[in-house]
Amino acid sequence: MSDPMIELRGVTKRYGDVLANDNVTLKIQRGELMTLLGPSGCGKTTALRCITGHNVPDEGEVWIEGRNVTSVPTHKRELGMVFQNFALFPHMTVFDNVEFPLMIRRMDKRERRERVMEALRLIRMEQYEKHYPREVSGGQQQRVGLARALVYRPKVLLLDEPLSNLDAKLREEMRFEIRDLIDRLGITAVYVTHDQAEALALSDRVAVMSAGHIEQVGTPDEIYDYPQSRFVADFIGLSDFVEAAVISLDSAGEMVTVQAKGLEILISGRRNMSPGQSVLLFVRPNDVELLPASSEAGTNVFLGEVEKMTYLGDRNDYRIVLGDGLRLRVQTDGKVRFNECERVKVYLPPALCRVILE
Amino acid sequence: MTLVRQYLRSLLNARKLLLSTFLLCFALMIYTPFLIIVFRSIGRGWFGRLWLPPEYTLDWYQWAIEVTDIVGITKNTLIIAALAVIMATLIGIPTGWAFGRRRIPGKELLMSMILLPRMIPPIAYALGVAQIFYRLQLIDTHFGVALAHVAVCAPYAILVLSATFEGLDERVLEAASVCGAGTLRSFFHVVLPLIFPGILSSMIFTFTTSYNEFTLTLMTYGKDTTTLPVRTYLAIGEGYWEVTSAMSILLIIPSLLVLFLIQRQVAPEKLVGGFKGV
Repeated sequence: MSDPMIELRGVTKRYGDVLANDNVTLKIQRGELMTLLGPSGCGKTTALRCITGHNVPDEGEVWIEGRNVTSVPTHKRELGMVFQNFALFPHMTVFDNVEFPLMIRRMDKRERRERVMEALRLIRMEQYEKHYPREVSGGQQQRVGLARALVYRPKVLLLDEPLSNLDAKLREEMRFEIRDLIDRLGITAVYVTHDQAEALALSDRVAVMSAGHIEQVGTPDEIYDYPQSRFVADFIGLSDFVEAAVISLDSAGEMVTVQAKGLEILISGRRNMSPGQSVLLFVRPNDVELLPASSEAGTNVFLGEVEKMTYLGDRNDYRIVLGDGLRLRVQTDGKVRFNECERVKVYLPPALCRVILE
Repeated sequence: MTLVRQYLRSLLNARKLLLSTFLLCFALMIYTPFLIIVFRSIGRGWFGRLWLPPEYTLDWYQWAIEVTDIVGITKNTLIIAALAVIMATLIGIPTGWAFGRRRIPGKELLMSMILLPRMIPPIAYALGVAQIFYRLQLIDTHFGVALAHVAVCAPYAILVLSATFEGLDERVLEAASVCGAGTLRSFFHVVLPLIFPGILSSMIFTFTTSYNEFTLTLMTYGKDTTTLPVRTYLAIGEGYWEVTSAMSILLIIPSLLVLFLIQRQVAPEKLVGGFKGV
């Protein structure tokens, strides 16, 4: 692998007693879109501000393009940034806003105009050049913010919750627009969000953060399918968790039988586990299958009762009680329908039952 | 049906009639004294018994200008106002910055203490000021009178400027630095244009406050520092109502000019809040 574009090396940042970043180490490759994902207060914005230089880390280093920039002021880092509240200059027109970075770089006036108009065309706002930010809609303001960040062709684009001030429908459109722009320009991007759907849809890789440290870094499907901690599994998508203990393994170590609340569950795992070890079993509610109570018994088929059923349009959401009080949340498509208090059989596909070793 | 509707409409009209009568009465109450002064200053032989003066003249203005040295007095007033504006702005910028952008424990209490000189009766305050100024020999100096005015001007400046600085979005400044602007360039291209309307309105407020200030001037002025409001008041004592009226009109002109400037140059919504948000 070539040199990373951005590298955080053991970055630690405190605000008074609060440890906002605790020894954060992260490599972001050239041309990839890395998302920092986590609940509010997890330190993702702090990490981003260490990259921009608005925060100086208490310990650790920040490297951009093979250069230690830890003590380089923001305005010399050659970055582009998009803000949650757009942060356009309210006293400047759309044109002047986009021109600002070029003006600061003392670029020739004619070239400036060409570059700005090209950037405005890219975001389809060329007819708004003379408008002031407050005269255009939120989505348009954010596109202007994007144009301002990209106009001087920085190598790194930073996006701090750029869509969370927009309404839901616009948010989805803008999501694709941003991804599209980044692909076209081949730029390295760091995207901060608390919205897991946004992170999964946009990113090349996701770094899930919690309480100031990075929980897991991986591609969206790695994060979704193979979370390495309860926090990640819980934060990304819906999960049922079951405390379990390993009973036996087959010779290849592929098929593992675990016991949880009196049930023996077979899972096909590739992890190194040993008998007697306690593990956290988790399964996604939409991976569980519901069968009529009359269907045949088999491995991983357990008898239960529907405690609660919620109709969600395209899906049905069930709460099922298995023997010994084990509660599972199950989501099926709208066609499968069981009533409350009805007895059902629950099938947990071995390949989709996963474990977290804690 | 139509009859009922007509009746309702007439009721509505009656309400409109009542409303406009009230508004007219209110306007008369507010503007009549002003009209009387206008007529008094340009009329001769008008004792208020006739509807309009029998004869018009500009003599009283000539008197006001020549006899009462209105040029010198205007100069005093402007020098004092300018000094007060400078001092109040110099106090207001850092204080407003601290109030608007820093976390200060007990901010509300401090703010009400700053506003205190505006709350207590000016005459009581002026009495204390006068005693100190006699001892410091600041009575009858431009600086002294201006300093007394600062006590009432500075709270305005602080109030307006702290609102202005509070409205200055930190994120916008961060955006400027990411765009490549260092401290100086982001100050001149971003900060200054954003706070300028606030500073301007603070200066206009403090200027009019000092220009119109009466009580504090009365207790600190001398023969070399007479201001327009005080001179106008003294003219009443001298018994020339017509000259006094002419002086009042002259006194009003600069205030009207400032008002006009505010309306034209600075949008009223920018006067206090600065640029709040986008």
